[in-house]
Amino acid sequence: MFSSTQFDVTSAFSGGGFMPSQSTQLTDSAPSPAKSRDSQGLVPATVKQISQASHSGDEKSSFVIDGVDVTNVTVVGMVFDKAEKVTDVGFIVDDGTGRIGCRRWVNENFDTTEMQNIQDGMYVRINGHLRSFHGVRQLLAFSVRPVTNFDEVTFHFIDCIHTHLQNSKLQLQGGASIQSHMVESSVNTPVRSGSNGNQTSTSIQLSKQYSVDGLKDCDQLVLEYLQQSSSMGQEKGTHIDELCQQLRLPMEKIKGSIRSLEDEGLIYSTIDEFHYKAT
Amino acid sequence: MFTLQDMDTSSPAIFVNGESLQMYVGKKVRSVVQVIKSDGGHMIGKSTDEHQWTIKGLSSAPLMSYVEVIGVAESNQSICAELWTDFGKTFDAYSYNQLCQLANGEFKALFL
Repeated sequence: MFSSTQFDVTSAFSGGGFMPSQSTQLTDSAPSPAKSRDSQGLVPATVKQISQASHSGDEKSSFVIDGVDVTNVTVVGMVFDKAEKVTDVGFIVDDGTGRIGCRRWVNENFDTTEMQNIQDGMYVRINGHLRSFHGVRQLLAFSVRPVTNFDEVTFHFIDCIHTHLQNSKLQLQGGASIQSHMVESSVNTPVRSGSNGNQTSTSIQLSKQYSVDGLKDCDQLVLEYLQQSSSMGQEKGTHIDELCQQLRLPMEKIKGSIRSLEDEGLIYSTIDEFHYKAT
Repeated sequence: MFTLQDMDTSSPAIFVNGESLQMYVGKKVRSVVQVIKSDGGHMIGKSTDEHQWTIKGLSSAPLMSYVEVIGVAESNQSICAELWTDFGKTFDAYSYNQLCQLANGEFKALFL
């Protein structure tokens, strides 16, 4: 389930920090190009992004958004023109960026009950299968849930931006060999200079609020700093106080990152337990 | 009969806050405002970045609630509402404000 090219909404909530299984998978194979053979999980997208997606061309007839195969998407928007029929319920979803036709097959009682609660003008979260029918893109919804906490609307669009950033970075890294074995697609490769989406204060603040990548960002910063120090030939490694000062992060976070990175074999202690180097 | 309608991205509602409303006068916009006062046929509200706005066509929104308004920007501090949704009393205006900045700036292509 975990792969370098997959961003899964559920995994984002399963706790930050390193997942050993993730890094093991990556070190097994050479860095692969952005397109994966398997489609991603549930990709958050705006209707605008869906309208601009290209076809992936293989027999799965899935779509490509930001260089990544996408079949299932999650969309948040308002319902309009709901039309109930015997076998299915059709409606339009308008998320403010555009409108897309949706269809929900009602096979089980569960489907019928869920759709009965949906009214025109309601904000809903739709999880569905993106497909093209006679050249018209539509969503085959398998879950339609009313939004009750409207922070979900804000969250969804930020999620779209986040996923876009991750997948765009994957596209840029492409087949280039990466020095570190870091799993995160949001990794700051030493090659790229300039501002990086994950490193702007705005996105760090946002990620803190939603507890998605808090610890991972810190790990990256520590690792990068140590890698840079190593390349400058500091034999005895870097003291954790220096990390704390230079990165302006709390000692607790630095220590947590040190532990994670050490567990992953990415850094090691040198003259004492306060000095570390990157492998 | 459910007719197969193609996607339509011709009339997006642009995420705006106090700072950006002036750039979209005459255009369809969306924003969340906190209801300060109801005044006859319109409402005085506070944008997510603390600007005071007049929202026309919205008189029955609950006081102090956050309300999402979709409509046409009339000036740099008023919107003529076509649709509104009550977002409740506990809404994270700060995050929404940051989203407005991102959606109007670096990530505009995902929205417009």
